[in-house]
Amino acid sequence: MKKHRFVCIDCPLSCEVALTEEDGKILEIKNNRCKKGEEYAIAEFTNPVRILTTTVRVEGGILPVVPVRSKGHIPKKLIRECMRELAKVEANAPIKCGDMIYENILNTGIYIVSSRDLQEDEA
Amino acid sequence: MIDVDVAVIGGGPAGLAAALSAYRNGAKNVWLLERNPELGGILPQCIHDGFGNFIFKEMLTGPEYAQRYIDEVKKTGITVKLNTMVLEMGPERLIAVNPKDGLLDIKAKAIILAMGCRERTRPQILIPGYRPAGIYTAGVAQRYINMEGVMPGKKVVILGSGDVGLIMARRFTLEGAKVEGVYEIMSNPGGLTRNIVQCLNDYDIPLHLSHTIVNIKGKKRVEEVTVAQVDSQMTPIKSTKRDISCDTLLLSVGLIPENELSKMADVAMDPITGGPVVDEAMETSVSGIFACGNVAHVHDLVDDVSKAGETAGKGAAEHISDKIKKRKVPVIVKGGRNIRYVVPQIIRNEDFDKRITFYLRVNDVEEDVKLVLLSGEKLLYKRKENVVKPPEMVRLTLLSKFLENVGNELTIEAQK
Amino acid sequence: MEDAKLKRKIEKLLNKEFSGIEVSIDDGIAHLSGELNSWNEVVELGHKVGKLEVEEVVNLVTAKEVKAERREKPGLKLPKKIYDPTLPKSADVVIIGGGVTGCFIARELSRYNLDIALLEKECDIGEGGTKSNSAQIHTGIGEHSGTLKKELCAKSWPLYEKISEELDVPYKKDGLLVVLTKDTLPKVPSFIANFVSRTIIAHVIKSKAKKVGDEPRIVKKEELMEMEPNLTDRALVAVLMPNYGIICPHRLTEALAENAVQNGASIFLDTEVIGISPNGEMKKVITTRGEIEAKFIVNAAGVYADKIAEMAGAKEFTIHPRKGSTLLFDKGVGDYVNHQISEMKLPQDPHTKGGAVLKTVDENINWGPTAIETADREDTSVTAEEIQSILKKYGSIIPNFSTNSLIAYFSGVRAPTYKEDFYIKPSKKVRGLINVAGIQSPGLTAAPLIAKMVADILKNGGLEMVEKESFNPIRKKSTVFEDLTLEEKEKLVGENPLYGNVVCRCEHVTEGEILDAIRSPIPALNVDAIKRRTRAGMGRCQGGFCGPRVAEILAREFDIPLEKVTKDGGGSELFVGKTKVSLMEGK
Repeated sequence: MKKHRFVCIDCPLSCEVALTEEDGKILEIKNNRCKKGEEYAIAEFTNPVRILTTTVRVEGGILPVVPVRSKGHIPKKLIRECMRELAKVEANAPIKCGDMIYENILNTGIYIVSSRDLQEDEA
Repeated sequence: MIDVDVAVIGGGPAGLAAALSAYRNGAKNVWLLERNPELGGILPQCIHDGFGNFIFKEMLTGPEYAQRYIDEVKKTGITVKLNTMVLEMGPERLIAVNPKDGLLDIKAKAIILAMGCRERTRPQILIPGYRPAGIYTAGVAQRYINMEGVMPGKKVVILGSGDVGLIMARRFTLEGAKVEGVYEIMSNPGGLTRNIVQCLNDYDIPLHLSHTIVNIKGKKRVEEVTVAQVDSQMTPIKSTKRDISCDTLLLSVGLIPENELSKMADVAMDPITGGPVVDEAMETSVSGIFACGNVAHVHDLVDDVSKAGETAGKGAAEHISDKIKKRKVPVIVKGGRNIRYVVPQIIRNEDFDKRITFYLRVNDVEEDVKLVLLSGEKLLYKRKENVVKPPEMVRLTLLSKFLENVGNELTIEAQK
Repeated sequence: MEDAKLKRKIEKLLNKEFSGIEVSIDDGIAHLSGELNSWNEVVELGHKVGKLEVEEVVNLVTAKEVKAERREKPGLKLPKKIYDPTLPKSADVVIIGGGVTGCFIARELSRYNLDIALLEKECDIGEGGTKSNSAQIHTGIGEHSGTLKKELCAKSWPLYEKISEELDVPYKKDGLLVVLTKDTLPKVPSFIANFVSRTIIAHVIKSKAKKVGDEPRIVKKEELMEMEPNLTDRALVAVLMPNYGIICPHRLTEALAENAVQNGASIFLDTEVIGISPNGEMKKVITTRGEIEAKFIVNAAGVYADKIAEMAGAKEFTIHPRKGSTLLFDKGVGDYVNHQISEMKLPQDPHTKGGAVLKTVDENINWGPTAIETADREDTSVTAEEIQSILKKYGSIIPNFSTNSLIAYFSGVRAPTYKEDFYIKPSKKVRGLINVAGIQSPGLTAAPLIAKMVADILKNGGLEMVEKESFNPIRKKSTVFEDLTLEEKEKLVGENPLYGNVVCRCEHVTEGEILDAIRSPIPALNVDAIKRRTRAGMGRCQGGFCGPRVAEILAREFDIPLEKVTKDGGGSELFVGKTKVSLMEGK
């Protein structure tokens, strides 16, 4: 039997939900003050996912990097691997907000898109 | 001299929303003055998501959120002046400068202050030691990493658990730096729980509450900082001193509204919020000067900043068209038990909108409280809250009918 | 006193209080060696021997508690792209040290037909004690009679009116109020203390001030509170010294350096002297930038003056660093006091005037400085104890002052010898070496006459000095946008749009001014140098907004990547590299 602790972020109450499991099977969820706490703990235990936001390098832009985001959630455990993958990328200015930067990253089916307009450097 | 209807100082989220709202509410000649080469204020460097949940019902990144407003502004006839710094200000008058137009002498029927805030720096928290390179406020480091593409350091200690510091703990980690820990002098975190969980816990970055930094070593570049636990009087406990080798100290120790221009125009200030005293239209003590966003008080969510901008913009437009009927005696809004401040601080208009929103912060964490509105002894409104926390601003929106019988004073308090 | 007799006298002291310490006397100078437990004992020993009839003290005694100084290996700190001047093969005079003293000397010597080269080891002038100076133009009242520093100070302060005009640097004579309070004589019963303060002490101060040429007057409590409404009501009486002034030490140093260069002198930054060897009539000065032959060497190396003298073979004095920390408050509070204010506390510390509530020429307020002996010549740390003691000490003089407006604190290191007086004379050992050492307060005030004294020493030493007709004492400061009228601002931006790009929003410093600083005769090569020249980053946000933009401008101007930009010279790089790089390396 193993115990896990998740701080629910759904509301300012920040319940510290306790989840007990055995071999991946959830046995008990407690200390949550509402249903959302239970849902949150289950999601965090079974498949925690996150939005990834970072930058990629840009050639010829007014800034040397452009911010990007995942268009959807990425498994938490793949975040660092995604960072290494995106470190290799160099985009070309001009870039429009929402432009595709990286397709189907690490076979997650998730796109990485630019999150701002970035003009060409005139000088 | 240039005659305009509304001049908005600052093109961040508050200024963008204010300019749009003034324009949409009928102000003809609206000028938006921005110091930076682009609009958006601090948002272009806030590349993380979590913006816009209330206004757009979406989780946007900072640049995306800004882009939506910028695109809207482009569709209007608002005049945008970039690289433009306001040097002097008085009622209805501004002196600004930019490289293209030179000096701009602007006469405005209404002025909206939306300069935002700045970060508290090391002297304000009195950390002793040397003054080497490698000490950054969190927001400055954020700009460097996210917009300039350079790393301020490889091994980082963070003082203060404000949201920007937490966000930067994750950002440094993702970029391959080691964040040794976050040290917070208070016994509760300064930032939102969401950020504690997703920025620290996700990456096993320890948060040390009731800790502070008592020395900085390194003559040219930070080499080491000394941390110590503090007692209940916030005095460092000698026996708990510990040296941590690092090359960077990041400070996330609070924000201060930028009000040098406001003071120049003799706007009355609220010592608690650090911003001007405003009424429900965000008008300050000086007729025709409005203030919104972090210039008025520091917000946690950009959505609230935009909302305040909308209110101020509308107020400015109505001020010009003389639509506002003011009460003879304004209602003074006060914070009662466990309330640190309430904005607006006064209610001045005879017939305000159907709704009025109060923004407030508490002093201490409390569970199961009732937020009540009192006029003298009379209870006007109450609402139950599961928990209230100082870092999480409370929004109290109510229909104006609750205020029909308000006297000249209104108190909001948290009752146990 | 003859050497043998002097030796016996010192040995008596050593036997009584400092056992295990050896002394030898060489030409009137006491040389001490051995080991003591603490640094404070080492300093105490030096001071006690210094009080005897010795000419100076070379105190090589070490302290067990002090680890050996960790000094970086000398070498060029700046990449060639940023700074790459060529040293001349020879010069008539090589000045070592670019503080206010060295720069004053360079400017003074540039009146003559001489080749002058000033060498500064840091990446900017005025980087040592100068930049943390309390900025006061003293009158000499605080100095002990019979000292060289008192004599030079009393004669020097009247020169500042003209100097500041010639060099276009701000100088204000706000005057100093020495305030006697109920705490002035803490050890005496209060009714006696109050009486003595009013009737005797105030008059003693007044007569001392008269002797140094000031025009003092006693200010009674009622008038005093009118003059300084925010003063503590524990004040009893004060003496006003109207000629006490303030100047900006780094702007003065910059102006002197510029004026010297304008008149033909050369100044080399990032150029550290690593050896000096005699070479016939000439001396060879070996630096990190190459060698230079000099007829005369002027040693104005501040806290390193003894090390430089030693390099040349002249162990004649020892510098014992004394740190001074200051708190700086924001501009907006400058009118909280109308004068410099110091509270008289008796008995006084013999080695410091005790600090004061000081105004700056920019309407900031300073509290300090402290005076703490330290073994480390570069100990510019500010300790928690210092901050607390300053807050306590000056907080009692103006009790309701809001310390929230604190925007910075800093420390500088004074460079006294154990005689605690200026040591300005040709070396006894090495011909052609002139030591200008022990320059502590009131060194800033005395600097004009120190420079003249050095010129006389050179003349007497055989250097041919012909005054140049072309010497121009006038130097104009570069544009300060904030100080211009609206009409002037409009005209300037019209001529050069870069003056319309405000980079520092607290101090309203424009890109045009930053470029002026980078391209000046004494180029600003890093972020701190730009801050000192232009005030960009000196305001309440302490560079939060403009820091990144100043760094970008430096990178662009020198055509270097951002990560090569420094805070204040090599080793203080602002960044460790570009983002993504460590991720690609798979670390």
